[in-house]
Amino acid sequence: MASKKTKTAAQVRAAQGGKRPFYALVAVIMIVGISTLSYMSSRPKSVSYLDTSVAPIANTGHVIGSDSAPVEVVEFGDFECGACGSFANLTEPDVRARLVLTGQVRFRFMDYPLPNHRYSGPAHMAAWCASEQGKFWEMHDALYQNQDRWPRPRAERVLAELAQRIGVGMEQYDACMATGKYAAQIKANYEEGNRRGVGSTPTFFFGRKAIAQVVGFDEFKANVDTMVLAAKAAAAATKKK
Amino acid sequence: MTRRMLTALVALVGLFVALYLALYKAGVIGVLACGAGSCETVQLSKWAMLGPASVAAWGVAYYVVVFAIALTVTTERFAESRGFPLLLLGLTTWGVIFSAWLTYLELFVIHAICRWCVVSAVLVVVLFVLALLDWRQVRGRSAVIPSEARNL
Repeated sequence: MASKKTKTAAQVRAAQGGKRPFYALVAVIMIVGISTLSYMSSRPKSVSYLDTSVAPIANTGHVIGSDSAPVEVVEFGDFECGACGSFANLTEPDVRARLVLTGQVRFRFMDYPLPNHRYSGPAHMAAWCASEQGKFWEMHDALYQNQDRWPRPRAERVLAELAQRIGVGMEQYDACMATGKYAAQIKANYEEGNRRGVGSTPTFFFGRKAIAQVVGFDEFKANVDTMVLAAKAAAAATKKK
Repeated sequence: MTRRMLTALVALVGLFVALYLALYKAGVIGVLACGAGSCETVQLSKWAMLGPASVAAWGVAYYVVVFAIALTVTTERFAESRGFPLLLLGLTTWGVIFSAWLTYLELFVIHAICRWCVVSAVLVVVLFVLALLDWRQVRGRSAVIPSEARNL
């Protein structure tokens, strides 16, 4: 009986010893996993500052908001980019309602169709063709809200359907799309992005501060507030002189 | 290293993959490390949500349950259990079906592939194979016991 008991205890010890590598591996995976996730969540956002020699953007892209707004935010976006879609669908409605319509900021959208996005080119062209009839922002919203529908073969058909739905005159739209009328403007916007060091979308310019990733409303507003304060300080300094 | 221990380890890796995607979806992680894939397109599509939570969050819950069960059956107390291995087999079968549906959506509906989703799908298949082999062993063992008992 006693020997049986001793054997059982030995077996238990052996079993526990056999589990040691397992528990060690569990610990390793947990440590590596938690450290990696902590690092990724604490990583600073991609912020950079534009060289002062680069002139501000004017007379290009598409603008929403008052000319008398004290500051302007510029977005370089791609209609096929999921992150841009996230900003357009989740944050931009708040930005427009609480900052643009209240006259605090002017918002400029610049084309930056990424070369690896196959259907982005026609989408940017469709937005410009809609813009010809004063429907750029309606098309912009429709494109981002329907990102699951049009980036696929025969995108042009879905793009035309979206244009029709927002009330674009189709005869003029079709002619515009067929001739690729705004290709030069789209390319110019893209080149402007390259001049400013844009490498990914969305990239936002709050003055000279560039943020190359999606920003939430609070962060957007904080950056606008900083710009407004800086603009006020600059105006006061000019007055003193 | 037993098959059950391996199951627990694979589930733990899956848990961190799902947690990574869930944290991105919750806005805690800014940009997904996706390489040539289209993780953001997939994660920002309407298919990335399932009811009140993101698919990734459901994935976290799934892997936690699978890990907990796999860990339980590595203990002496539940070594002979038939219920837990069967539960594990059921859960991993469901996991394979669900992952197949998600992969179908990526390929034919969203037209984008998220490499982390592919990693998760592969892990689920590995979990299923391990659970199936374990269940076959448990079934074989319980089929042998009565004949041994007859010889006593």
